[in-house]
Amino acid sequence: MRPVGMTKGNLRAGCGVVSLFVFLLSVAHADTRATLSQEERTNGAQILGGVETTLPGARAAVAQIKDAKGKAVSAAVWVGADGYFLTKASEVPELEKQRIHWDKEKSAEIREIHRLNAHDLVLAQAVGVSGVTPVKFETSASKTAYGQWLAAPVKGGSEIRIGIISAQPRKIQGFGAAMGIRMDEQPSRIPGVRITGLAEESPAAAAGLKAGDLITALDGKPATDMKQVSDLIKSYQPGDYMEVKYSREGKPRTTRVRLASRMKIMMNWDGEDFANGGISLRTDNFARIIQHDLPLTPLDMGGPLFDLEGHALGINIARVDRVTTFALPASVFWKEIEPLIEADRHPPKALKP
Amino acid sequence: MQALFLIMLSQVRSLSPAILWLMLGLQVCGEEARAPLKELLTVQSDVQSLFAKVRPAVVAVRISDGTASGVIINAEGLILTAAHVAEKPGREVRVVLDDGKTVKGTTLGLDKTTDAALIQLQDKERSWPHVKLSREVVKALPGTWCFALGHPGGFDKERGVVLRVGKIIRQTANSLQTDCVLMGGDSGGPLFNLKGEVIGIHSQIWEERDHNMHVSMAPFLRSWDEMKSSLVIRVWRTGSGGYLGAAIDVNAAGKVEVLEVIEGSPAQKAGLIAGDVVEALETQAVSSASQFSNAVRARAAEDEIVLKVLRANAARELRVKLASRPKEDEG
Repeated sequence: MRPVGMTKGNLRAGCGVVSLFVFLLSVAHADTRATLSQEERTNGAQILGGVETTLPGARAAVAQIKDAKGKAVSAAVWVGADGYFLTKASEVPELEKQRIHWDKEKSAEIREIHRLNAHDLVLAQAVGVSGVTPVKFETSASKTAYGQWLAAPVKGGSEIRIGIISAQPRKIQGFGAAMGIRMDEQPSRIPGVRITGLAEESPAAAAGLKAGDLITALDGKPATDMKQVSDLIKSYQPGDYMEVKYSREGKPRTTRVRLASRMKIMMNWDGEDFANGGISLRTDNFARIIQHDLPLTPLDMGGPLFDLEGHALGINIARVDRVTTFALPASVFWKEIEPLIEADRHPPKALKP
Repeated sequence: MQALFLIMLSQVRSLSPAILWLMLGLQVCGEEARAPLKELLTVQSDVQSLFAKVRPAVVAVRISDGTASGVIINAEGLILTAAHVAEKPGREVRVVLDDGKTVKGTTLGLDKTTDAALIQLQDKERSWPHVKLSREVVKALPGTWCFALGHPGGFDKERGVVLRVGKIIRQTANSLQTDCVLMGGDSGGPLFNLKGEVIGIHSQIWEERDHNMHVSMAPFLRSWDEMKSSLVIRVWRTGSGGYLGAAIDVNAAGKVEVLEVIEGSPAQKAGLIAGDVVEALETQAVSSASQFSNAVRARAAEDEIVLKVLRANAARELRVKLASRPKEDEG
């Protein structure tokens, strides 16, 4: 563990590369008072124990999407008692291969209904499920002032976290997808684009790509030059898979890269600046967001956001950095979701066996 | 290794709140359960009304190719920030006000040992929006609600200044730790109490989410005149931390050994002699010469500490009343 000073998002090209400052003196903190215990902290047992009783519906409204190995991939929020739910689209590109889990031991297969890529949401239904507790979104609520307390159920509803609205509600511009590579057009025996460097914890690195690899094709399209490769990747959505054919030491290979937000990769080229649990693949391109400081992780995205009176204000949609989470206010998406559910209900769709 | 050990320990500890909370969830009911909610709503209304008042005094600081934060604390345009932001006196910086306008400032003095620094806005004639700083340093107690403001990642007009609300976790001689989560670009930004007074300046983070460190007002108040006159404080001066009066070094066995004891010093009064091996300061094991001197300096003058020493292979405890660092010890 190393301490870092916190100046200096580097201004060049708008990228927030944060310089790290090591403080030799940091070992020398002599306490003058006893340290506050975990239980007494803002998100400790004392406060949460009191908040939880005012939010009876909040914990029941959240579910978890888990992959075939039982690993949680995102949170979900029930929007219909008959199993309709919303989750974060870019975290679940293959939603029907996964299962939804709730109420400790219950789980079901998933039928995907509609992807709203503009909002990074997907509407789906838990197959053969009824009697779950849906949220009732407040679409007129305008509780978006700085300092307003918020609450969100985490870990499949077993716990609650609180925080406040931290900034002005706003639109977040999108900059397309990226895999986190630097490229070069070195002449080569076979046509392609050479990888010269990879971002820390980048999608490309996660897929096994290395500096020196020669990209020959992306999703079946031959890689000809840097600009063409860059433009092609940019045209994809964060969270999308891209098949990469490449050559390593003359041998042809293939891998699948899960793309992330270009901005996320540029901001975190050298690592994630103590994000605690990492950040979401897609962190931009939202029509309107509420920014808050709840201590969440990427796995909590797709879950509901409440005020302390239990009103459902929206959905947590992106874990952005150590401090920041973006939530979509219900007013942005609910008017599009409601008719989709109604249309799907009438007539009821045949459920899978 | 010690730091790594600490983080592992805290991870183990972090398992307990969930269990405890679940137990509490079963027990609390009625009015008792409402108390924390009431407390939160009071904090909310306090923070919201203070936020509107203090916001105009919070600034972004652009220096070379970096961005940080600061807070104006008088009408003439004096700004508190962090020493690792200012780096040295006499640097020209651009200061971005809450409305997005950019004005010029100059770095004054800094205390590199605690990360405190001052910037002066160049236009002293204008009446700058400003906030008060708290002079009651010791009242920033663990458990007290507070809020942090800053411009993480730089000034962003659409986003505005970024607010975080939390509690003080630790108070040390020169710093505060809170669960207001900080990140890059927050450095130099203010931590407020619920009276709207500055009680800390954002300084550093560790990996753990609750490990956010702020310079307390102690170094600012102590070294105010030096910092205003553009001095750089590289060592602890009179009144700034405890003074023992013994020269130490690591001996052949890798232990911290007393080489010389200064005549009339707290060390001599306590009976420390050359050749003693210092094993622990209070409960803190002594692992290196620099760690030991830092630990002593982090204590206040007049503090009584217990040193565990080894003399001729016999363990003994010496009670030392630390003094102020003598003037001639400067530099």
